Amino acid sequence: MSQSDPSSTPSADSKIRGGQFRKKGFTVFGLDLQDFIRFFFSGNASLAIVILVLICVFLAREALLFFPDHHQGLKAYRKSGQEFVDFVGDEVNDFTILYSNANVAYYAELNQTSLEQDNLLAAYRAVQSLVKNETSRVRDRLEDHLDDLEDVVDDLEEAEEDLAKLDPAVDGEKIAELKKEISELNAEKQQLEPVIAELRPELRKASETILNNSLTWKFDDASLKLSEEQREKFREAVLRDEPDAQGDHPYVAELKKISAGKKAAAAEQLVDFKATVTALRDAAKPLKSLHSKLKRVASEAKRESEKFDTAPGRRAALLEGAAKTSDPEEKARKIKMAEAVMIKEPDFATLTQPLYAAIPEHKAIAEKMRTEVAALVKQLPEKASTQGARERLKHARKAERTFDSTVSASLKKMDKWNHDKRYSVIGSVTAFIFGKDWVTNSSWHDFYGLLPLFTGSLMISIIALVVAVPFAVSAAIYVNQLAPVHEQNLVKPAIEFIEAIPSVVLGFFGIFVLGTMLRNVSQVEWLSWVPGFPMSERLTILNAGLLLAFMAVPTIFTLAEDALNNVPGAFSENSLALGASKLQTVLQVVFPTAMSGIIAAALLGFGRIIGETMVVLLVAGNKIKIPDFSEGLGVIAQPAHTMTGIIAQELGEVDNGSLHWRALFMVGMVLFFISLAVNYGAQKILIRFQKV
Amino acid sequence: MNEFSDNQILNKERPFAPQTQKRRQTDTAVSWVFRLATYGILACAAYIFGDIIVKGAPVVFRAEAPFINVEFFTRSPETLVVFETQDGTERQLAFSDYSQWKKDNPGVEIAKEHTHSYSGGGILGPLVGTALLTIICIVIALLIGQATAIFLNEYSSKGRFINVIRLAIMNLAGVPSVVFGLFGLGLFCLFFPVITTASELRVEGWRAIQLFGTEKYLAFQGWGTCMLAGGCTLAVMVLPVIITACEESLKAIPMGFREASLALGATKWQTIRTSVLPYAFPGMLTASVLGITRVAGETAPIMFTAALAHKDKLPWQGLAVNPESGFFGRMLSQVFGFFTESVQAMPYHIYTVAARIPQSEYTRPMQYGSVFVFMVLVMCLSALSVFLRIHYRKKMKW
Repeated sequence: MSQSDPSSTPSADSKIRGGQFRKKGFTVFGLDLQDFIRFFFSGNASLAIVILVLICVFLAREALLFFPDHHQGLKAYRKSGQEFVDFVGDEVNDFTILYSNANVAYYAELNQTSLEQDNLLAAYRAVQSLVKNETSRVRDRLEDHLDDLEDVVDDLEEAEEDLAKLDPAVDGEKIAELKKEISELNAEKQQLEPVIAELRPELRKASETILNNSLTWKFDDASLKLSEEQREKFREAVLRDEPDAQGDHPYVAELKKISAGKKAAAAEQLVDFKATVTALRDAAKPLKSLHSKLKRVASEAKRESEKFDTAPGRRAALLEGAAKTSDPEEKARKIKMAEAVMIKEPDFATLTQPLYAAIPEHKAIAEKMRTEVAALVKQLPEKASTQGARERLKHARKAERTFDSTVSASLKKMDKWNHDKRYSVIGSVTAFIFGKDWVTNSSWHDFYGLLPLFTGSLMISIIALVVAVPFAVSAAIYVNQLAPVHEQNLVKPAIEFIEAIPSVVLGFFGIFVLGTMLRNVSQVEWLSWVPGFPMSERLTILNAGLLLAFMAVPTIFTLAEDALNNVPGAFSENSLALGASKLQTVLQVVFPTAMSGIIAAALLGFGRIIGETMVVLLVAGNKIKIPDFSEGLGVIAQPAHTMTGIIAQELGEVDNGSLHWRALFMVGMVLFFISLAVNYGAQKILIRFQKV
Repeated sequence: MNEFSDNQILNKERPFAPQTQKRRQTDTAVSWVFRLATYGILACAAYIFGDIIVKGAPVVFRAEAPFINVEFFTRSPETLVVFETQDGTERQLAFSDYSQWKKDNPGVEIAKEHTHSYSGGGILGPLVGTALLTIICIVIALLIGQATAIFLNEYSSKGRFINVIRLAIMNLAGVPSVVFGLFGLGLFCLFFPVITTASELRVEGWRAIQLFGTEKYLAFQGWGTCMLAGGCTLAVMVLPVIITACEESLKAIPMGFREASLALGATKWQTIRTSVLPYAFPGMLTASVLGITRVAGETAPIMFTAALAHKDKLPWQGLAVNPESGFFGRMLSQVFGFFTESVQAMPYHIYTVAARIPQSEYTRPMQYGSVFVFMVLVMCLSALSVFLRIHYRKKMKW
């Protein structure tokens, strides 16, 4: 754009009247109209910079205020002794994991023997409740009528009894009355009976229609499969199940009996196991009661501390109120109240004294429990008959080790703990960035730790990238290098078209279709080798990752295709001339040359994925917890929460300016910088490798 | 590389021999892998479209005239009431219809009544809201984006300033949409100045400035959750897209046009006005359609700045007017009142019906119907932008 500027034309010509090269018009401060127009446009252009700066300012304004408040909160957390109590709490939590694993293993073993019968019964109940639901109208009416009939029959019997008691000589009048009543009741009974007789076949027919529908016999749980014979028996049982039916169908009753019998037999076998599990529970009792005792102490201290924090505010409000009232009596009262507001800092040393005092007690309890638990876990059966129980036992053993190390760590931490120790500012920053909990609106203490959200975002993005990059790059290679021109012209816009699908629509699809589909697919037996399969949840990391991969494909495709396009034609021509085949040329000459562009494309795709909100909000399952990596790659079948999702979900519900609000802005700031870094990195890669 | 050298050894005698059978077979196989990946992507897209069309179209279309579910497009979302009358017929009515029905049929006993939020009525409110948001956004974004593009392409010369601007635009394009939402909330909803009376003042200190000689204040307290704030947020978000597209259309105009005009003595601005902008118009049109496509589908930026899940009235209904003020005062307050209304919006509506209400046979028509209409709308816009681009590229050849 190196056009000659018209204002710099020679001034000699401008003197010629009516000449084409006129002099400048009016000027203000030496600037003419053209300059103003120019400034108008450049001003608009600099708006982009202004906006970027404003984004930084408005995020930072709220976000940076987060740290002082957060620091304050953490200081209170330490001062009030909640930190101390949470050392015990960690032990209790770890133990709970251990115990629940052992317990679940026990029940898995116990139910294992009667699994077949239990499954059958579950299938029966599923069909039964479905039929009951679908036929509820007829069934309710029949039930009402049967109730009525029962009442009538009862009344009738009563009346007849009364009648029998009465002496005809004395109570002639009453007898007449009763007889009338009886005849009335009989009439009613006769009225009811045909209706009931009519309703019964109606119910039967309605039930049969549903039973004949093959969908009735399709269960959510894929392991429920019935043979033809069992189906027939269940059909009978369901049809027999009229509102006034007594007891169960013999087949169902038999199933129940077998199941109960087997369970009893298994319980006898597993009596040692049960005893161990019970002993485990009992071993934790002292620690748990100590924990709740300490918790009360710390809560009390926390309340005092909160009172103290809000005291100046309350005092000021009262004084302000006093200043506004004109009534002197009221004024005096308010001033008195204001003075009564405790402004002195509570004595945390006294308040936390019971905590220090509990250290030896805790030590004794914890040491004892530790040995007991270790011994008990050794007593847990080595072998188990079911896969589930084996897994659980393995987890329990692992949890025992965690518990043991937690106890040692807690004991050490408690000895060193001091409620008055300074909480460093950096500590509050690390507590945010590396915090493992994001707990809000809790009655104990609110934690704002980024880690669960960050891992969620990262895992989903990685899955999306792992799926999207091969597809998108293959498509780019195919379209750019291998496909005939007319195919290129069709496929390229079609893939770019995907970019226009709104993310909320994809999220909707994820909830309504993909989630169920993935779960069903995961239950197929020959796919059970896939990590995380079979999945029990619909909304998982995998689901969100796949959808985001689909979203990222057009972005990566377009950029990668550009990169391939930019490879000079001479490269492939040379390669072909040397006798390489088309594919050799593509894979060994063109592709490596375009590599930098493709990496940048993947990076930009990553930027797009990690900032995506609606899909993860709808599909990722929104469980704020660091995914459990103990299952290896199976972690993808778990739900998670993300940085973008938490902002969208919680921002609407928090008070403007509260700590929680600021925490969310802080998360937004982290996202902002991640996206800037990704963008910057992609640009750098592109520039660095552009010169081929 | 190994195979390559094998080939050479094999064909030592005949350097121009055709490639071996094996080589050709692997070539074909690998190209088929690439082809399958490509069509796999398209198949996924087709499946998603198909599923939504198959389940959503029956809600929107009808078998008999007028062939379209009119109610779905002329009412706003309401709570759906499902109930059974004593004779066993099941009825589904939107809540307002239900109240009316109850008034009309006082004697009828109602059994088994259950309600489903957001599932009755239609989608007029969200459609109108999305349209308004998009229009506001595109007007603002086009004005600024256009000017920026003109500056970048016509005025700027290489330098630090231009580099910073380009960097800013590039980075703006990568910022996640939810961060734009936070920004919009902080700036437009909670900070931008409004003129209010003392009773509605929510801020103090330097943020509330009393206007000279009046009872009114210029208060930096923000516009609140409203369509103007949402539109501005979306405009900021879509700015990079618009700038890039506009610049492209300016770049396509041959330098000769400008040179000829300048040589005839026209000023810079005259040149731009008469010899550049008219020819860039089609490109700008494409840019705006592209921008609308982007903006209409966004949810996160409007979640906290503009959108409501439920709203009885359309934005122009029930605007409060102060009868004492003069004609212009009334006009002004009405216009401002209109723009500071919160709205429903299609994407937010879909989020609500997807995430906040359970799936059942009663809610599904609303869920799939909304998604179908929304997707068709956005897809049509997208197709339009592709069509425009191709059409003008063919037409404008210099």
